[in-house]
Amino acid sequence: MINGNSDEVARLVEAGRVHRRVYSDPEVFDLEMERIFGRAWLFVGHTSQVPMPGDFITTELGRQPVIMTRHRDGSVHVLLNRCTHRGPKVVNERCGHAARLTCCYHGWTYDTDGRLLNVPVPEGCGEGFDREAFGLARAPRVGEYRGFVFASLAPKGSSFEDHIGPMKGNIDDLVDRAPDGTLALDVGMHRYIYQGNWKLQVENVLDSYHVPFGHASTVNKEGVQFARREGDQKGAVVVEAEKKQTASSWKDRKSYIVGNGHGWTSNTTLEDGKRSSKAFDEYKQILTNKVGAERARQILTPRLHNSLIYPNMSIMGLNIHVRVIKPLAVDRTEVTIYPVRLVGAPEAMNFGNIRLLNVTHSAASFVQTDDLESFVRAQKGLQSRHTDWVDISRGLGAEEPDRELNATRGLATHEMVVRAQYKAWVGYMREAA
Amino acid sequence: MDAKTSSSVQASGMTGIHREPFEFFLIHEAQLLDERRFRDWMALFAEDGTYWVPAVPNQQSPFNQASLFYDDRELMKTRVDRLEHPWIHVQTPPSRSAHMVSNIIIEQADEATGEYLIGSTFIMVEYRDEQQRVFAGRQHHRLRRDGASFRIVQKRVDLINCDSAFEAIAVPI
Repeated sequence: MINGNSDEVARLVEAGRVHRRVYSDPEVFDLEMERIFGRAWLFVGHTSQVPMPGDFITTELGRQPVIMTRHRDGSVHVLLNRCTHRGPKVVNERCGHAARLTCCYHGWTYDTDGRLLNVPVPEGCGEGFDREAFGLARAPRVGEYRGFVFASLAPKGSSFEDHIGPMKGNIDDLVDRAPDGTLALDVGMHRYIYQGNWKLQVENVLDSYHVPFGHASTVNKEGVQFARREGDQKGAVVVEAEKKQTASSWKDRKSYIVGNGHGWTSNTTLEDGKRSSKAFDEYKQILTNKVGAERARQILTPRLHNSLIYPNMSIMGLNIHVRVIKPLAVDRTEVTIYPVRLVGAPEAMNFGNIRLLNVTHSAASFVQTDDLESFVRAQKGLQSRHTDWVDISRGLGAEEPDRELNATRGLATHEMVVRAQYKAWVGYMREAA
Repeated sequence: MDAKTSSSVQASGMTGIHREPFEFFLIHEAQLLDERRFRDWMALFAEDGTYWVPAVPNQQSPFNQASLFYDDRELMKTRVDRLEHPWIHVQTPPSRSAHMVSNIIIEQADEATGEYLIGSTFIMVEYRDEQQRVFAGRQHHRLRRDGASFRIVQKRVDLINCDSAFEAIAVPI
């Protein structure tokens, strides 16, 4: 049994393998909710989801329900969604607009910055009742970069800058594609759920090894995946048709780690020079007019495929989206995928991105559904006691420094990124609160 | 109850048009899905036909917002090719389904152009890999007369839980 003893937790992770209990033991999950989701910097939402004063969204950080609001002065607040009186969730909608936040039970009313405004029948409160002390609790630490709002539920720990800093370039890579230099997560979302541990999804976002077989059903007889992006004439070459094996261009893909569990994979090789359509050409022109030809060329030459901001968020640079991973139980996880609207891009370009994401990442998509099947089967297979160990050793020892990127590099079909995630995992898990 | 009372006229939608051919068509379409004859199902769609499952209630457009499905014929073909692929893991074992279509109303009819909008309520029970689940909602078929039958210009499926989180959905609803 796990009692939070740091040596015992650390024993679950070895060089090149992890104990199956990290996926299957409810006590390990309870400890993760306390020690990882209870204090790590977690992605909450994007400021474009609350554009006007009074706008709010609700979500969960680990097990804790939170509200992200826009206050009258324009500030964004991350508040615990729990009435300070008797405990009900104050806001029940997933998103909306309200001048005040009122609890349904006894009518305690809060301002959009969390201050307690009104208590019905106030004469019932004791003499020393301090209204100031009964505001909605706030996430102790909140940080924002280019509209991406993160919060930590612990008052101290690694700073926002130290945690997110190494991944700012990955956020820039996506945001810079918007001609107006900002993006909006205001074009709906995809939500899916699976009967498996949250780390199965986290590990998968940077896993290039699974694509040729895991997504075999999306690859045609010529080894080419369906075209994904607006203006592409065809998709990625995943399998060499002649030899029926993983294409060499796929095997050459790289992955990178920068500490804190974060990482990314290099771009998918596509014929960017031939990328053209009415919407794409118009977009390219608008971007060029804004930032100049050289910078536009850099922005439109994809560098990144997927980026993971550990532990709960990823950004995809190919079929662009932001993904948020929410653990529900040791064997149950919910994922939200937000299509990205590039502000300033032609409508048709954004529409193309939205349509593409239906095909790749909705609950009914061609791509994501086969991943979900793998996660569900992993959770079932890991009930086996044949061995206690899960192998993550591909490329162990083959990592090398990338001085230009200030990162550590490996092949994307290796498992360096997974090992890096478990290094961060042990870091959180062995340290008592 | 007298068939001519106002509520029953309302319930049958457009008067003076036989409902039966539409009902047969919808039952036939449901049967093709239940028999996993996806290629034949796709052939029911017009060349410019679309299959749309919105992701929010009363969704106005498939373009400016995420949808569960929004397939034109080309995407439908990719979807059907995949459903027939031997390595589609999420259909190993395959889904079985039973569709029930009812409460059919002819909501719009233009006999001159041969275009019709048919509303119906459906329940689809799906079983796969030891799990059974239920999808239900209202659907709208925009149909175009084609000889003795119809082609689907758009099938729109509004699930009552369209904005919830779903486990993988591999087959059309």
